[in-house]
Amino acid sequence: MSANEPKLRSKSASIRAYSILVYVVVIFFSILAILPFWFMFMNATWDTLSIQRGIKLWPNPNSFEQLAKNWNNLAERSTFSFAIGFKNSLIISVGSTALTVYFSALTAYGLSVYNFKGKKTIFAIIVGVMMVPTAVNITGFYRLMSSMGLLGSKWPLILPAIAAPSTVFFIKQYLETSLSMEIIEASRIDGASEFYTFNRICLPIMIPALATQGIFSFLGSWNNFFAPSILLSRSEDKTLPLMVAQLYGDRYTDYGMIYMGLSASVLPVVIVYAFLQRYIISGVAAGGVKE
Amino acid sequence: MARANNTGKRKGMSYTRYGYIFIAPFVIAYCIFSLYPLLTTFWFSTANMQSATAQFWGFGNYEAYYDRYLDLTKLYSDSFEQDVGIKKNEYVKIRNYFSAQDKADTYDPLNEEGIQAIIANGANSLVSQSAIDELQQALNNKDLGLLSQSSVEELKAWRSQYSDISLIISQKVSSIAGTVADIANAGASDDEEAAAEEETEAVTAESIYTAENYDTFVESLSNSDLTEEQQALVNYLAGQTGYPTLQEYFNAVKNGEVSVEDPMFFYVLTNLNKPNAVTAAGESVPAISVPFIDTVEEYLKANVWGDLVKSLNTFDSLEAYGDGSKGLHEDEESLYADLETLNNAGIINIVKLQVSGSSVIVSNDQKSDANALAIYRTFIDTAYEANDTELAAAVQISKLTTYYEDQGRVLLTALGISVDKYISFDGTFDLDKYFAFKSEVGLTDALSYDRYKELDAARKESNVANAQKKLEEAEAAIPAAQAAYDAIGGNDTNSKEYNALRKLELQVISSKDTIKDPTGILEKVDARYVYIFDGLNNYAEIFTNKTRFNTIVGAFWNTALMWVIGFIPQILLALLLSAWFTDTKLHLKGLSLMKALMYLPNVITAVTVAIFFRRLFSYSSGGTLTPSQIILHAMGMEQGYNFFANAWATRLIVCFINFWMWYGNTMIVLIAGITSISESLYESAQIDGANSFQTYTRITLPLLRPIVLFTLVTSLIGGLQMFDIPQNINVNPALVNFNGTMIKSIRTVLIYINNQAFGMQDVKQVGIAAATSVLLFVVTTILSIIIFYLMRDKDAAKAKRALKKGGTRK
Repeated sequence: MSANEPKLRSKSASIRAYSILVYVVVIFFSILAILPFWFMFMNATWDTLSIQRGIKLWPNPNSFEQLAKNWNNLAERSTFSFAIGFKNSLIISVGSTALTVYFSALTAYGLSVYNFKGKKTIFAIIVGVMMVPTAVNITGFYRLMSSMGLLGSKWPLILPAIAAPSTVFFIKQYLETSLSMEIIEASRIDGASEFYTFNRICLPIMIPALATQGIFSFLGSWNNFFAPSILLSRSEDKTLPLMVAQLYGDRYTDYGMIYMGLSASVLPVVIVYAFLQRYIISGVAAGGVKE
Repeated sequence: MARANNTGKRKGMSYTRYGYIFIAPFVIAYCIFSLYPLLTTFWFSTANMQSATAQFWGFGNYEAYYDRYLDLTKLYSDSFEQDVGIKKNEYVKIRNYFSAQDKADTYDPLNEEGIQAIIANGANSLVSQSAIDELQQALNNKDLGLLSQSSVEELKAWRSQYSDISLIISQKVSSIAGTVADIANAGASDDEEAAAEEETEAVTAESIYTAENYDTFVESLSNSDLTEEQQALVNYLAGQTGYPTLQEYFNAVKNGEVSVEDPMFFYVLTNLNKPNAVTAAGESVPAISVPFIDTVEEYLKANVWGDLVKSLNTFDSLEAYGDGSKGLHEDEESLYADLETLNNAGIINIVKLQVSGSSVIVSNDQKSDANALAIYRTFIDTAYEANDTELAAAVQISKLTTYYEDQGRVLLTALGISVDKYISFDGTFDLDKYFAFKSEVGLTDALSYDRYKELDAARKESNVANAQKKLEEAEAAIPAAQAAYDAIGGNDTNSKEYNALRKLELQVISSKDTIKDPTGILEKVDARYVYIFDGLNNYAEIFTNKTRFNTIVGAFWNTALMWVIGFIPQILLALLLSAWFTDTKLHLKGLSLMKALMYLPNVITAVTVAIFFRRLFSYSSGGTLTPSQIILHAMGMEQGYNFFANAWATRLIVCFINFWMWYGNTMIVLIAGITSISESLYESAQIDGANSFQTYTRITLPLLRPIVLFTLVTSLIGGLQMFDIPQNINVNPALVNFNGTMIKSIRTVLIYINNQAFGMQDVKQVGIAAATSVLLFVVTTILSIIIFYLMRDKDAAKAKRALKKGGTRK
């Protein structure tokens, strides 16, 4: 793109004009993507009256005072307890992520390292059930949980994570390129048991894939609404999304508080995303996420 | 690799089992948590099971089902003994058993904590030691029969001395629960009634204060006709509103300074219409009739209260508090918080006012029924810790008494049947105990499942015989009737001859129906609480009931529509952005930051996004403007636009959110696809002089096809499960007219399933929900197969075919 070559000047100028257009569009969509969150955060620093008077896209001069006030109003509401929702969400998400990651790794390892009868069929079934919409079995699932006395408990939201077909599929894809039988052979010759080989030698090799899948599993569980909304009914069991869903309950409560609640539910995810976005995006690029 | 395979084979035998062991947890968990529920969903879809409260008693125990639900006393009122072969009063024993079991299930009379509370209080020598011992024994053996009648009397006596305030409270709560249920159900029934029509005429806020009688009413307040007490009340209420006089307050409402949704408005109106105030003499203050109170109530029910009521913590528990099945001491803080919410919203008036002369004070009268809750609040605050077990004991005694005094139990014990030891007190149904009971009353063989089948067959047979007889009679009579009809000309459809003929014809049809499909006794079982194999009736119901069919097809249509409208711009924008982001000529800077920003909406909780957009696009007809109204106002639309009142606007908001949340994801997948295309292809294109556009359409797009199809499949499967956003964009789908929204416009398949199986209606249509799930499953599978078929590698397939034909591959 050397401008001192006269022949290329006109072409270079048209490219520049084109790239300005591209920048404008791309920046527009980047802003569009974060504008709602900015809007939420800014409004959380204002009181209801100011919010009703006009749209606030800048922080309140005495933000901290008003933030504290909104936070207190939020905390006083009986239907929204950030601490309880956060705790419940965290327990469920951490539990289900740990199970998904470990057992998917185990399954993928079992499928790629050992030769046994029916292996191909099982893998084909796993790929097939990836496509089954998870929500269709909800009536059966609810009945099962109610007959097991697990309604309101966290177990129905954690235990099913053991069987995550898509995670198994992606970890198996990863294993096929990065795990060599030689390592396993060497370990066997040294007298290690199969479980030792898996836990101590092969699991560390899988860490990059596990981390990516772990992040998506965590986000999926953290944002999950459908199953918890059916299984959890007492306010002390509710997860953060269920709490947020109740925020709009009574219409004459103050808006500053509503925005505070929304921001409080968004902020942890944004912070985590800020640190992990590179891994998340490379994970998405690898096709590791289902819509 | 070959070496590895060899060693694998040599030791293969010993390692093979590890393959099974390693995948076992996955397979087991999948079978329990996904496969089994999926299969049971299929099974439910063929079962008539309308209630979510049905209990699973095992497939082999039909006998218990039919004993429980077959009301033979009604079916065979005259010839019961003859038909069933047992005495009517023998059978009544079984009915009474279930009556007692029901009471035990609802009231939990042997609740361990409650009983321990009674025992703990008994230690203060309130109750005699022998009664305590009996209670302990009853608890240990799970048999209330060990508690003697005299001990029960003793407990009751203690409880009546204790306090009756909780009784007043539970009565009050019970009436509140009724009001609240009315509000909640008003919305739900509206939904069903209005299912056929898209739009319903609703009361608007304007119609309240623009009504003619509004001004007349406001004027009447300044009349001098008011009594002294009324005037005092009016002044007091004006003081509560913060306006100098009530007239000014009502004018403020009219001017839009105060919204009619303001709870104070309703509070003032109800207190005028039906004053919750007494004079010094203890008489009620005379009412000042508010002509438009019904309109206000209707408006609030449709727009504000339903939402409010649903948001209550204890909404489900209110009824339980009322009927005593839930102690007022359980979750009382949230109960009280909710009562306060209801009070603040004006739905209930907890605190009674006292008018003496021209002053109004809040009544402190402890005996006042209406003030019971205020006193309860004080009671909680002052005596919460100290009376904890005492209250628990009192509550438990009333539960115990309720069970003890159940008519069924009383009758059985009077007959000398020790029913208590056959009742299970933990809320389950114990089949073994039930069969033991049956054998004690001597009905084991008399009423077994085989016996029921016999009865059913006999009943069907006699029905068929009767129908056959009727059919023959009718057929024999038809020629004569036909002749009579012909005699009067044969074309007067109003004549009695025609009616007689028609009646006979109908008799033939109905008799033939009965012969073809006779009704037995087993069909009469109250199917609301059990599941009985019902064939494809749920599907038949879906496809033949016009309203239901329209609703379900509408749900599929909405889902598909919102997915398509969201997906098209999403894939187009993603294609455009991915082309730009990978265009080496453009050299875009800050790429990874922009990618990260555009993906951000995808990681945020969908519920939060939905609630946020709901807030953004909500509409207020009162004085204050919502964000969308402020923007539209600035653009020249005076009152903004009520998005949620328009079906398409609501849908488009949902589509926009889906688009906005997912284009970043699609874009990143496409970028990955483009970067994986071999660089040499682009280089040769460049050498050939292709420009960016040509390179894109000739090289990138064709090679990107599998990735686009992959996105299509995943997006489709996700799209068919659309739930979070449409469900939360308008939190209360039971209300048609909340905010004027026609929620039907965004009712997706999952919302429908959720409503049918877990909604607020009394009769939960689990069978229909399961059948709809199966339809969703089938639709998804078919669509996935179609797309997979399109996705398969066409070149490879062609090559295979070519090889078969003996040709060579180009």
